[in-house]
Amino acid sequence: MIVKEWCMYCGECAGVCPRNLIEVREISLNFNKEECKDCRICVKACPVQALEKGDD
Amino acid sequence: MIKMIETDILVIGAGPAGSTAAKHAAMAGSSVILMDKKSEIGSPKRCAEGVSKEGLKKLEIEPSERWVTKELSGVRMVSPNGTAVNLTEDKVKLPEAGYILERKVFDKYMAMDAGRAGAKIMIKTLATGMKREDDQMVVTAERMGEEFQIKAKIVIAADGPESRVGRWAGLRTSLKPKDMESCAQFEMAGVEMEEPDCIEFHFGSVSPGGYAWIFPKGDDIANVGLGVLTTMTDKSAYEHLLEFVENNPATKNAQAVELNIGGDPVGGLLKKKVTDNVLVTGDAASMVNPLTGGGIISGMLGGRIAGQVAAQAVMEGDYSEKGLGIYEELCERELGKSFEKYLKAKDYLLSLSDEELDQIAEVFKDSDFETINTAEMVRKLVKISPKALLKLGKLF
Repeated sequence: MIVKEWCMYCGECAGVCPRNLIEVREISLNFNKEECKDCRICVKACPVQALEKGDD
Repeated sequence: MIKMIETDILVIGAGPAGSTAAKHAAMAGSSVILMDKKSEIGSPKRCAEGVSKEGLKKLEIEPSERWVTKELSGVRMVSPNGTAVNLTEDKVKLPEAGYILERKVFDKYMAMDAGRAGAKIMIKTLATGMKREDDQMVVTAERMGEEFQIKAKIVIAADGPESRVGRWAGLRTSLKPKDMESCAQFEMAGVEMEEPDCIEFHFGSVSPGGYAWIFPKGDDIANVGLGVLTTMTDKSAYEHLLEFVENNPATKNAQAVELNIGGDPVGGLLKKKVTDNVLVTGDAASMVNPLTGGGIISGMLGGRIAGQVAAQAVMEGDYSEKGLGIYEELCERELGKSFEKYLKAKDYLLSLSDEELDQIAEVFKDSDFETINTAEMVRKLVKISPKALLKLGKLF
């Protein structure tokens, strides 16, 4: 997952991740890439389109 | 060796719900730690900052000029074609009239109250994991590069709609996209409102799955925002907000000084909020009115119950799911029943086309209201709309 520099760490992506794979810190996001099933719910949920699925 | 701190109750998340839980648990005699990952409690804000006077009264909180930015005297609702329904205090009784807060100050004050009641506040402290050990919970935390553990008899998860604490405890706090409003808001200066003492709502395709709002904060300042369901639009909340601001007469000349974003859990109260040693409260438990999206007062009411139930459990030495089970019952009584109704009202509202909303506004704008609150509005709606009667008639 690519986190764009305008991400505001609001955590909405973490709230909708069905696998609980996103950790929101004050100014960073951590993804558990290995467990991600590429559902892209987090990408769609982001209020500012700051997430992009990268090429694995 | 990792440092271990022991406490009766650990509250994770110092928003209004978490601070209220911590305050009431400490007031009841428990040792309490209130931790938050942020370096400044209350910042950045994530909401439109509206609360009802009735709600604050219920929580026994005296309004303070330090955190009230505006006292409201009415509501203005605008349909897609611009038809406005103005409900102001001089025309109708407004029991749900309220205030616009300065959340950055309010949240800090609520945390300070918890501190004054005896809770230990830990800022810039992130919970990174949790496990059960000897009938207690051990939470691993990080603060400014230091890792340590907190052993607590009870953990109250008040860590917002992105709650991981509840999930670590095995509760299903994850939300489906249809239950999470995606919100974006500007705080703006130079806003020219028709009714500067009223909160303003805009319905219809301007904000698919939700509504747009203009909440005055005094002078020419206002929170201008909206919430959308991502299941009902391909655009982001931010894109919808830019369009709204550009096209609305009140905001087209205004300038943004702050951008806020975030998710609002509007799917109704989380069904299971308790497990052994853990209670979930506030946004983490979806304690948000599904119709209005408002969650400050309801979260604090839930937080108060959580704090009191947890402290009682500590006194009785029973931290089991069964022992804490009264929390579910009290939350259901305080919030759950009304949320069920509002959930149905929201479904109805979302089923209306722009044309139907315009027709309703046309009738409403010439109607007389004796009093205005959410339930009264729905009752009025039932009288004029056959579709509303069908979907909501028995509820309100």
